[in-house]
Amino acid sequence: MAFYADKDYTQDQEVLNAMQEVMQGHLTLHWYDANTERIKGKPADYRRGLTYRDLDVGSYGYTDLPEDLRRHQSMVARGSEKWGKLPDMGYLVNRKSEVWSDNVADLYEEDKSRRWAPAVDVPWTGADAPSPEVEAACAQLYTFLQECALVSLDFPSRWVSLVNQEFLEVKSFMCAQMLDWARLLEAFRKRALMGGQGLKRASATAEQGLKEWLWAETYPQGSLSINLSLAGFLLAVFRQVAAFAPRKADRALMGFAMQDAGRQVAYGLGALRYLLSHRPAQKVAIEEYLDQTEHVMVALFGSPELLEPMIVICGGGLESAQIGAGRIATAKFIRLVVREYMERLEAAGLSGRRTRSRIPAVVDRIATS
Amino acid sequence: MSYLSTTNFLDDKSFADKWLYTMRTGELDLSWMNARTEKINPSPQNARRGLTYRDLDLGTYGFSDVPEKVRENRSYAPRGAEIPPGLPDAQPEVSRKSELWAFNTEGYYEEAVTRQWNATTDIPWERLEGAELPEAIGKALSQLMTFLTEVEMIATDTPAKWLPRLNPEFIEVRAFIASQAMDEARHAEVFRKRALTTGWGLMKASPMNEMALKHLRDADSFSEMSVALHLVAEGNVLTMFRFSEYLSPTDVDKKIFRLVMQDEARHVGYGMQHFKWVLENFPEKREILHKHLDEAENISFAAGAATELTESFIVLAGGGLKPENIEKGIRITTQFQLKQMEEHFERLDKCGMPERKGERSKLWMMYQMGKAAAEQAGLKI
Amino acid sequence: MIKFPSTDYFEALKTRMAAEQERFRRLGFIDATFAVKVSDNGRSRNFVLEFEVFELKNVREVDSVDLKQVDFAIEGEARVWREMIENIKRHGEADASHDINTLTHFGEQLKVIYDGPDGHDKLYRFMESIQEFFDLSSGVDVSFN
Repeated sequence: MAFYADKDYTQDQEVLNAMQEVMQGHLTLHWYDANTERIKGKPADYRRGLTYRDLDVGSYGYTDLPEDLRRHQSMVARGSEKWGKLPDMGYLVNRKSEVWSDNVADLYEEDKSRRWAPAVDVPWTGADAPSPEVEAACAQLYTFLQECALVSLDFPSRWVSLVNQEFLEVKSFMCAQMLDWARLLEAFRKRALMGGQGLKRASATAEQGLKEWLWAETYPQGSLSINLSLAGFLLAVFRQVAAFAPRKADRALMGFAMQDAGRQVAYGLGALRYLLSHRPAQKVAIEEYLDQTEHVMVALFGSPELLEPMIVICGGGLESAQIGAGRIATAKFIRLVVREYMERLEAAGLSGRRTRSRIPAVVDRIATS
Repeated sequence: MSYLSTTNFLDDKSFADKWLYTMRTGELDLSWMNARTEKINPSPQNARRGLTYRDLDLGTYGFSDVPEKVRENRSYAPRGAEIPPGLPDAQPEVSRKSELWAFNTEGYYEEAVTRQWNATTDIPWERLEGAELPEAIGKALSQLMTFLTEVEMIATDTPAKWLPRLNPEFIEVRAFIASQAMDEARHAEVFRKRALTTGWGLMKASPMNEMALKHLRDADSFSEMSVALHLVAEGNVLTMFRFSEYLSPTDVDKKIFRLVMQDEARHVGYGMQHFKWVLENFPEKREILHKHLDEAENISFAAGAATELTESFIVLAGGGLKPENIEKGIRITTQFQLKQMEEHFERLDKCGMPERKGERSKLWMMYQMGKAAAEQAGLKI
Repeated sequence: MIKFPSTDYFEALKTRMAAEQERFRRLGFIDATFAVKVSDNGRSRNFVLEFEVFELKNVREVDSVDLKQVDFAIEGEARVWREMIENIKRHGEADASHDINTLTHFGEQLKVIYDGPDGHDKLYRFMESIQEFFDLSSGVDVSFN
């Protein structure tokens, strides 16, 4: 699987001679009149700085990227002049409709501007420790969330090197996602451990489902699962925990987390919308994929490693009345997740999913019990 | 070619029944409360630094005590969590610490997170309004930026490619790689933006350097990748950033290069520490590392034949295209190229491979020849 | 004293936001337009807030909110809004029971309404900025009808 240079350059006389020529003042200047478009880009709004959108111009821009990339398999920067023997980087995602979202460049810029650092932006010390049972529930919930973060981190990592370099803005957003999830993994781990309970139990049922989503066959399928389904689910979890935050640290952490998840969902929805609007025939395949894989949502809801700590946290403890209140809040959470999931699918172009999906019927039974 | 979980949860009646029962009755299992895990009480060692990964380096949760071979956990369970039956295999391909560990990995990551800058807003782009560079300088700068934006993303693609193949126990290494991915996306961005603000746009691609990128991308092992990328390639690029800052024709360019070199230094730091770790803990790997370096140095030398890059440096350093400019530019560029090679060998020496400064390395021989020729020409190296 | 609800109230927050630009810059871009609907005895007063980059660009009162023209709207009874603002004044910032996320989460106190999920999700993408915007109330003397 290794690539080696085509020769030993330290011994190649032709190369050595060419280098020597230049260093003796005989410049080739073959690059001096490059056959590329001349532009002098500038910010449309100086408050915002120079964005990728400002440079969406001519051959450098992304709006006019074609659907199929057939002659771009190197890392040559979009818009620069290609020449010579360029290697094949092995990109497997070469169709714009498979990765694009009209908001991706803006989301990348938003991500960068809304960065935070868990070590210093979350109030880790404080005299607001909840009861030991609630703290144990937090430790379990945050153990579960670390599993979700590891999977969410893996998804863009698995695909970024396979995505054609022409889709620079998408790849950049994927890098931003990687850092988002590394940061959230860090924050969840720190929060889990700060309360003195240690980590708790990993979730076999959740991980089985998450691995099915992560290891989707194609990028569009994987994006739907991870960027829309999972991120939408997690966005709701973050909002729920923030609303019932046992500690200031939870409120702060979840405030940042929901921002990161919100962006991811925005990309996931946008990417699905773009795919379906440009390749409507894909609707059948996507519906089938969801038929096959939506069950993972049930795995997440029903995993005791999420369900039970959420009930305890929302109720505030283990007393009967507290459990009762926690159950009600958790039932509302489940309904909220499914409602918003269906809204997003519909907005993306999957009208009718609500009636086709088996999820609503299952959730209705559970959530109204 | 996809994974299917061990059950379809929509069809798993016992799973749904259990869920329904819990929601209806409130009877919680709560066995997770008594998870067989260690209880620790971490606290920030330095309140100004906040709670860091180093503060969590305790007991089974810490990174210091991760063994050489991770035998127990191949799932997405976070390090230290209780591992129940039924967890899927995450299919990690790297479960040996020596393949990826470096002293201070967690420190590099924390530093990266707090030192993220924004190519959109942290560069004073407005200062370029109305600023015109002479044609030769503008074009040379654009060519340099074209090269830099072209190569930066390899340092995203390549480590990112490895990230999901690393055992999830190595949380800090994964985190560091994620931070590097973002750093490099930012570098590709800032160089692209600068090229597109010169008035000349992007210039020519660099086939010689593309070959180097392919070599990095297709490394056989994480360790080989790290040696070739973090230590050799990024080491060279770090020197190049310092040189470019020195040559910068505007204060905006100086700022760009100061910011990118901060990030690059972290990556090189990781590379050096990893290299050192391997040499100190696994001396039997020395010869393997030599072989990695043989190829990485060959490709590094080949990049010197990329005339579009060398010549742009000459024009920037000399200040133009007149014969006297070229002469000056060649002198300064020669000094830089030799400095780049010298620093490469210094890094290897500091990491515990001084013998690379000898016949073992063809690049060293080329460096000696180049240095001798330069000194003969009256250049101070 | 500035009355709530009124454009003067939101203008006061806008002024304070501009004065604390560094704080809002640190939080990042906020590009969203949302409406605040305050109901009292069956009637509502509606305000459209347009945020761009790091500031509140424009505030206006409207007779009714066209959900297609905003990303989302937050609606609720005047007493809920009052309780939130008084809480902010007391504590310097909203406590966990009175922040925007908690109040809107199940739609039982304040409700988020929207034309589509793209707009809805902007509430969460910019949550910290939106919360800090309302927290600026701590520096404003507010009276209620």
